[in-house]
Amino acid sequence: MTLELAIAIIVTVVGASTPILIAALGELVVEKSGVLNLGVEGMMLVGAITGFVVVFTTGNHYLAILLAAGAGVATSMIFGFLTLSLSANQTATGLALTIFGTGFSALAGQGYSARPVTLLGPLFPSELATHPIWRVLFGYSALVYFSFAMVLAVWWFLKKTRAGLILRAVGENDHSAHSIGYSVVAVRYGAVAFGGAMAGIAGACFPLLLTPQWAERMTAGRGWIAVALVVFASWKPFRLLAGAYLFGLVMTMELYAKAGGGPLSAIPAELWAAMPYLATVVVLVLISIRRDASSNAPACLGRPFLPSN
Amino acid sequence: MMQFRLEKRREPSRFMLYATPVAAVALTMIIGAVIFSVIGYDGIGAVREIFLTPLTNSFKWQDLGVKAAPLIIIGVGLSIAYRANVWNIGAEGQYIMGGLAATWVALASHGAGGWWTLPAMMLAGMAGGAAYGAIPALLKTRLNVNEILTSLMLTYASVQLIYYLVRAPWKDPMGMGFPQTRRFASEALLPNIFPGTIVHAGVPIAIIVALIAWFIMSRSVFGYQMRVVGAAPHAARYGGFSENKTIWLAMLVSGGLAGLAGMLEVAGPFQRMVPGFPTNYGFTAIIVAFLGRLNPLGVIFAGIVMAITFVGGEVAQTTIGLSNSATGVFQAMMLFFLLAGDILVRYRLKRVVPQVEAGA
Repeated sequence: MTLELAIAIIVTVVGASTPILIAALGELVVEKSGVLNLGVEGMMLVGAITGFVVVFTTGNHYLAILLAAGAGVATSMIFGFLTLSLSANQTATGLALTIFGTGFSALAGQGYSARPVTLLGPLFPSELATHPIWRVLFGYSALVYFSFAMVLAVWWFLKKTRAGLILRAVGENDHSAHSIGYSVVAVRYGAVAFGGAMAGIAGACFPLLLTPQWAERMTAGRGWIAVALVVFASWKPFRLLAGAYLFGLVMTMELYAKAGGGPLSAIPAELWAAMPYLATVVVLVLISIRRDASSNAPACLGRPFLPSN
Repeated sequence: MMQFRLEKRREPSRFMLYATPVAAVALTMIIGAVIFSVIGYDGIGAVREIFLTPLTNSFKWQDLGVKAAPLIIIGVGLSIAYRANVWNIGAEGQYIMGGLAATWVALASHGAGGWWTLPAMMLAGMAGGAAYGAIPALLKTRLNVNEILTSLMLTYASVQLIYYLVRAPWKDPMGMGFPQTRRFASEALLPNIFPGTIVHAGVPIAIIVALIAWFIMSRSVFGYQMRVVGAAPHAARYGGFSENKTIWLAMLVSGGLAGLAGMLEVAGPFQRMVPGFPTNYGFTAIIVAFLGRLNPLGVIFAGIVMAITFVGGEVAQTTIGLSNSATGVFQAMMLFFLLAGDILVRYRLKRVVPQVEAGA
C-alpha cells in the first residue's frame, strides 16, 4: 500500500467518524444525567438541513454550524418539555422526535436536493499540510478538531468539575440530589439542550464535511449508531473516541469496496453497507459477554423524575 | 392570575385514556394548520386534504383499507409487546424479512404452485418475521442486550438484504435489467375481495387479527401475563410469570405479525419483490400502537387514522403541491400531543386558590 493511499484512507476514516463522535458525546452527557433521548437521529437531520440551508444562502460555514447547533437545541426542547416537564415516556418521545426530525427536514429541504455547496475547508493554512504526513495532522476542517476537543472537554467536565459532579449525581440518584437542593429537572434540561446542540452540529457535518449537498435522510442511521456507541463505551468519553473510529473504519471499507477493485470487493457491496449495523449488534453482544453491560449505566437512566410532595 | 397545580389521581382516568387520542388528532389538525400557515404553506388546505378528503371522497376508501391493513396488523403486534414493556422498534425489519420469506416461497414454487401456495407464503412470512424478532429476544434474555438497539440495527441490515437479493440471485432475467424479482404467479397473488377494486384479502385479515388479539389480551392467561409483566414486574415474578418467557412471546408475536404484514404486502399491492418494498409501515405502526392506546381495538381506529394521513398526504401532493414528507410531520405532531396528554391520564389539573396574605 502506498503512503498516498494510506493517508487517503485515514482522512476518510476521520471524516466518517467525526459526526458519530460528536453526536455520541452529546448523548453521553444526556444519559449521564439520567435521561435517554432516542431522538438523536431526528435532531441530526434537523441540524443537517439547517446547516445546509445556511451555507447555501450565506456561504458562511461557521454560521451554519452555529445555527445547526441552535436548531438541534430547539428540537431537543420538544423532547425536554414532554419528558421533563410532563414526564412523558422517554422511549416513545425519543422515537417521535426522530419521526418528526425526518419529516421536518425532508419538508424543509424540498427543492434543495442536488444543489451543490462547498465543503468546509481545512482549519490550518495549507503550508502546514504540504507533506502527506503533515496532512494527517493539520489537514482537517475545524469540525474534526472540535470533536477531539469535546472528548477532552466532556471528560474534564464530568470528572473534574462541580457541575459535572452534580449532573452525575442527578443521573445516579435523582431523589437524593433533589433532597439536598439541586433542581433535577433544570440539570436535565441543560443536559438535553447540550445533547441537542451536539446532535445539530453532528448533522451539519454531513453537508459541510462529507457530501456537499442535501439529501433526505442523509444521516442514514448514524444517530442510532451514536446511541449504541454510548452503551459500547460504557459511558466513558475516551472509549467513545475509540468506538467512533472503529465504526469510521468499517464505513470507510464500505466506500472502498463500492469503488471496486482490491480484495474488499470480494464481499458484496450490500454486505459492506450492512456492516456498521451488524457490527453494532456484535459489539453490544461482546460487551455484554465481557461483563454485565448495565453495571456502568447511570442508575436513573430513562426513569421519569417526579418529586414526591 | 389563575394558577394550576398537578395532582396525582388515585388511579388512571379511563375517560382521559380514551379522550386524549381524540384530542391529539384534533389538536394536530388545528395547530398543524396554524404552523403550516406560519411557515408559508396553505395550512387549512393541507389539513383539509390530509385529514378530510380521504374520508369524503369515496374513491379513496379502498386506498384507506389497503394502507390501514399492514398498519393494523403490525400495530397489534407492537401493542402486545409494548404492553409487556418489550420495546421492539424493528418491526420494519421483521416486515421486510416476512416479505422476503414469502417471496422465496413464491419464487421457488413458481410454475408448480397450487391452492397451498398462499397459505405456505403466509406461514413463511410469519416465520421469517418471528425469526428476525427472535434475535433481539435471544440477545435480551441471554445477555441483557438492549432490544431497542438490536431490533433497529437489524432493520437497517435487512434493507441491504433486499438490495442484494433483487440485484443478484433473485433478479428477474426478463426484467430488462431492473433490480426486481419476476411477477408472482397468479396462485401466489392475494385475491381481491371486491371485484374491480384494489381491496385484497389482507384487509379482512387485519380486522380478524385485531379481534383475535383483543380477545386473547383481555380474556386469556397469556394476555394477563403480558399486561402484568409490563405493569408490575415485581408482582409478576411473585405470581410465577417468567420475565424471559414474556420477552420471547412479545418478540415472536410482534415479529410474526410484522412478517405476516410483509407477506400480505408483497403478495398484494407489490406482486413482486422490489427495492422500494420497505415503506416505513413498521415505523409508522409504532405511532399506531400508541395512538390506539396499546389496545387491539384501539389499534384498528388508529390504523385507519394513520392511513387517512397517508392517503391524504398523496392527495395534498397532487392537489396543492405539498411534499409527501408533511405527512410525517403531522404524524409526529399527533404522537407529541398524545404523549403530552398522557399526563392528564395520571394527574388532574387543580386550580390553586391564591391565599390572601394577612395584612395585604
